[in-house]
Amino acid sequence: MKQKLLNNTEAIAIGFMAVLALVTGGWNTIVCAVIAGLLIGLSANQNRDGIIRAGVLGAIASIITAIMGYIFNSWVSTLPGVDNQAPDHLTAYPLILAVVIGTITSLVVAWIHSIHEEARRKQAFLIFMVVCAVIFPFFDQCPTLAWNGPISIANPTVGCTTSKALLWVNAVIVTMIFALQALGLNIVAGYAGLLDLGYVAFFAIGAYTMGFLNSDHLVAQDTFLKTQFGFWLVVWGSAAAAAFFGLLLGAPTLPLRGDYLAIVTLGFGEIIPIAAKNLAEVRIFEPISLFINQLFSKADAQSLDRMQNAEAFLKNTLCLIGCDPTRPFDFTAGTKGISPISPPVFGNILGIPKIYAFVNGDYIPWYFLALVLLAGSAFFIFRLRDSRVGRAWVSMREDELAANAMGIDIVRTKLLAFIIGAMFSGFAGAFYASYVSFIEPGSFAFDISVTVLAMVILGGTGNITGVILGAFITRVVDLVVLERLKQLINGITEKVFFSGIDNPALVQFVQSIADATAYKVMLFGLILVVMMKVRPQGLIPAETAAQKRKA
Amino acid sequence: MAILELKNVHTYYGNIHALKGINLTVEEGEVVTLIGSNGAGKTTTLRTIQGLLKPREGSIKLNGEELTKLPPHDVVKRGVSQSPEGRLVFPRMSVKENLEMGAFQRNDKDGIAADMEKVFGLFPRMKERINQRAGTLSGGEQQMLAMGRALMAKPRVLLLDEPSMGLAPILVDLIFDIIRELHRQKTTILLVEQNARIALSVADRGYVLETGEIVLSGNAKDLAHNPEVEAAYLGGKAH
Ligand SMILES: Nc1ncnc2c1ncn2[C@@H]1O[C@H](COP(=O)(O)OP(=O)(O)O)[C@@H](O)[C@H]1O
Ligand SMILES: [Mg+2]
Repeated sequence: MKQKLLNNTEAIAIGFMAVLALVTGGWNTIVCAVIAGLLIGLSANQNRDGIIRAGVLGAIASIITAIMGYIFNSWVSTLPGVDNQAPDHLTAYPLILAVVIGTITSLVVAWIHSIHEEARRKQAFLIFMVVCAVIFPFFDQCPTLAWNGPISIANPTVGCTTSKALLWVNAVIVTMIFALQALGLNIVAGYAGLLDLGYVAFFAIGAYTMGFLNSDHLVAQDTFLKTQFGFWLVVWGSAAAAAFFGLLLGAPTLPLRGDYLAIVTLGFGEIIPIAAKNLAEVRIFEPISLFINQLFSKADAQSLDRMQNAEAFLKNTLCLIGCDPTRPFDFTAGTKGISPISPPVFGNILGIPKIYAFVNGDYIPWYFLALVLLAGSAFFIFRLRDSRVGRAWVSMREDELAANAMGIDIVRTKLLAFIIGAMFSGFAGAFYASYVSFIEPGSFAFDISVTVLAMVILGGTGNITGVILGAFITRVVDLVVLERLKQLINGITEKVFFSGIDNPALVQFVQSIADATAYKVMLFGLILVVMMKVRPQGLIPAETAAQKRKA
Repeated sequence: MAILELKNVHTYYGNIHALKGINLTVEEGEVVTLIGSNGAGKTTTLRTIQGLLKPREGSIKLNGEELTKLPPHDVVKRGVSQSPEGRLVFPRMSVKENLEMGAFQRNDKDGIAADMEKVFGLFPRMKERINQRAGTLSGGEQQMLAMGRALMAKPRVLLLDEPSMGLAPILVDLIFDIIRELHRQKTTILLVEQNARIALSVADRGYVLETGEIVLSGNAKDLAHNPEVEAAYLGGKAH
């Protein structure tokens, strides 16, 4: 029997990373080589031959990525419209390092993969992933920076100085925010089997809570809020607010048939951004405040007359927000958005001096904060699955009627999943608001709900590792690959095909058709449909404790 | 006083009148069987008792306490559990996890562990397969698991819905030997069966259900020799 030269994972790893190296090049080649090495190592046979084979394949894959990186450096980067590259980005260093590090990665991963004892293997993987995650942002420092001599204590970033926007770190931070959401939706869709099509609403609620309570937007107006509450306090408030709305939405809907939840959440996902857009001019003389005023002033016949008088009116009104009746109250800032939202600060509370304050645009600290939050959440959800409610979720997904007959309160269990899912989304939204420091209704459109759903389904409904992997693939495709592909195609069309043709309208037309980013939603829709059809359990299907024990 | 008592229970599926005034009692320690052909309303009766379906009329009492308006989880808490029709084990959970799910409404760790051992005593095969996924068990083993799972709730009344369904005769005998053993241990059982002969052989009393109505009832031995029952359920007329 003829043996296949490459298995599927290896072929995909080499092919995908080669394309990625071709469109990113320079120092990014190292990242591509490492990912290729990781995938090759993971799919290796768990014996000595497997490790050797992985090493050879890893070297080949790294050389291919390096060649692609070279093509980028020498040709793609010269195309018009492709991001400007710093000189050090295009040297031979990254290409040589890519070959070395990529090969080592595949060897190390294959070796870890071959450890037979499961507990030790998992431990080794964890250590490896932590090491990768910790050194990763420092490699990414290099792409847009000037070579700045050897590593030193004063300058620890692999010979690069920091400052400009990074290609990967920003994308990975955003990815981690999405992964956080995907983990929450995984509870809703994966554990409880509920279809939430407006998941972005809870993300928006969390983000706006952060915007209200941790920026000067409300403080500057005449409200009950006299000072910002700070990130660490508000982040819980955001989660609580999202959970509250989850309860409000889920409690009446969940006892009904499944399709109703999909419709209601879809509507809710549309309503929240619209509300955020329109609540920019709230007036104190609205019917509701008139009613409250009447209530508190024990309205008599003259009270309505009194309401014509703003001052008298205010005396009787329980004024929380917008207490200047001459001026409309700006609650959500509408389309102009809330900005700047303050970043987290360590210390500076309860008499403790300020220890450290995050700065927007200084990505590395944010990266580590996001990493810690994501890891903590994954751990929490992992433990949750083995808890009493976790068991209830799994049994309900397995067989709802039987679960009901076992004495599981189906509605309550589903509601709990819905609320905890909303909470995670709110939590992610709070972090997002503080990270980008600017929120507006347009940031919370329907496509986010779809993207997060695609992550969950792609990765494997019900599986934590799978969902995080799904988030990374989806976001890296979205933020890096499509964007760069667009630049590459534009560059090629302009320089190669249209270099002699003087017809800007035609060039623009072709470029807008070939704009890879415009196909994003279609691509994710396609992923959803294809995955449902071909592999409904996702890339890494959920395993049960029974399987774990057998392994 | 009967431990379980149904009085004039009417249950509907939309407009379909599935139970038309069921009256039925089960005494403590008794095995009572409810026999009837396919579609008679046997499963509907058990689901109504457990609160999975709401009766439109009538009352269901456990030891004198009204169950009628209670949701299933409260009914389980009060001591009614069932091995459902078609077994419905949790396929991707292990045997042990399935059994633990049966005790979902209980908090007494020691009691749960003791009952788990009791179940293993009744079904030694379950102990051998403790970490196997329930979906990979044979039909007979799944039936044992479903019964064990129901027993884990420490029920005062155990409801069994067609435990013989789809099993080879030798396995049916095995399952019914266990029901006899449970009877010896004074477990109160309401047994639903299409296989009237074997059901009447283990039961103390029996009821015959036809299109939502009880048409006959009495001592199991008498029913087994009743000419109508013989003709309809024990004779050549198979279902
Ligand atoms: N989910 C349902 N919806 C509508 N009708 C049903 C449903 N389940 C059962 N029925 C009807 O109710 C009657 C009793 O069914 P069932 O209790 O399952 O009978 P048995 O268990 O005795 O075979 C049958 O006529 C059946 O068609
Ligand atoms: Mg039935």
